[in-house]
Amino acid sequence: MHEASIALSLIGVATEALHQHGGERITALTVRIGQWSAVVPEALQAAFPAAAEGTPLQGARLSIVSVPGVGACPAHGPVELQLALGLRCPVCGLPTPTLLQGDELELDELELA
Amino acid sequence: MTSIPAPRIVTVRQNILKDNDRVAADNRRTFQSAGVRAINLVSSPGAGKTALLERTLKDLQGQLGMAVAVGDLATENDAARLRQWGVQAEQIVTGTICHLDAGMVQAVLPRFELAALDVLFLENVGNLVCPASYDLGEAARAVLISTTEGEDKPLKYPTMFNTADVVVITKMDIAEAVEFDLSLCRENIDRARPGVQVIELSSKKGAGLEAWYSFVRGLPLP
Ligand SMILES: [Zn+2]
Repeated sequence: MHEASIALSLIGVATEALHQHGGERITALTVRIGQWSAVVPEALQAAFPAAAEGTPLQGARLSIVSVPGVGACPAHGPVELQLALGLRCPVCGLPTPTLLQGDELELDELELA
Repeated sequence: MTSIPAPRIVTVRQNILKDNDRVAADNRRTFQSAGVRAINLVSSPGAGKTALLERTLKDLQGQLGMAVAVGDLATENDAARLRQWGVQAEQIVTGTICHLDAGMVQAVLPRFELAALDVLFLENVGNLVCPASYDLGEAARAVLISTTEGEDKPLKYPTMFNTADVVVITKMDIAEAVEFDLSLCRENIDRARPGVQVIELSSKKGAGLEAWYSFVRGLPLP
């Protein structure tokens, strides 16, 4: 369970952005979590309110967008990966060692007040 | 009537772990300029990280300058076990945190004389999930899996295996007794990380250690 640590890092990055944009507090935020990032969205959602307490993000609405993995198949180009198949093209089974997306752990948008 | 200002939406697009990654980059520069190869060891609890380290320290003593930073939730036991081989072992007590991060490693580095070292082992907390997200600035990440854990670990923890530079299968001496299916395990590892080097060994009996030692030395393999 490292989602508590991730939540604290998220609050740090968001607070920095808040100050850069001259806002008072954050009322909502969107993060993008790749399915290959080892972070469980539900666990992050659960950890967030306690981590946000006493910060400018207290009470903010957290939206999590889960980003599926996309690998580069040598034969089929970009293909959506399935966790159970690993880094293999679901069509032909060739290795797709390069992730085109799906490992992100990203603060995307903030709603400032 | 006062008008309520509309909420302002701003696009940030920033890596949540950017602070960790910045410190990891610092660590990497520190290791590179001192000529130290840092190896991050990750596995489930009980997969045999400490046993493999003990054996490695014993066998490579006098050939390589080695030291260990050990991440553990509370105790000092592993570091004490490793010190008996005459190397410096520093404990990083992580408290409730289930992984090492780059800052914890950076904080312990001043205790080592890095210029005198060839290899610094970073023994991570026993956990196959959380350490995957944290770059420590290591040169290589070694993922250990023991024959007692079953063959499907690589599919259950794809991210950890996906970031491995080498996968070490430990406790091969009891593989038969626990009915471990080696070819299935290798197939699953190759799914999670196509083409990754896999080393099978037994720290207890000593089988397969040469391949691991070549990896530790950073030598190209035959
Ligand atoms: Zn394909």
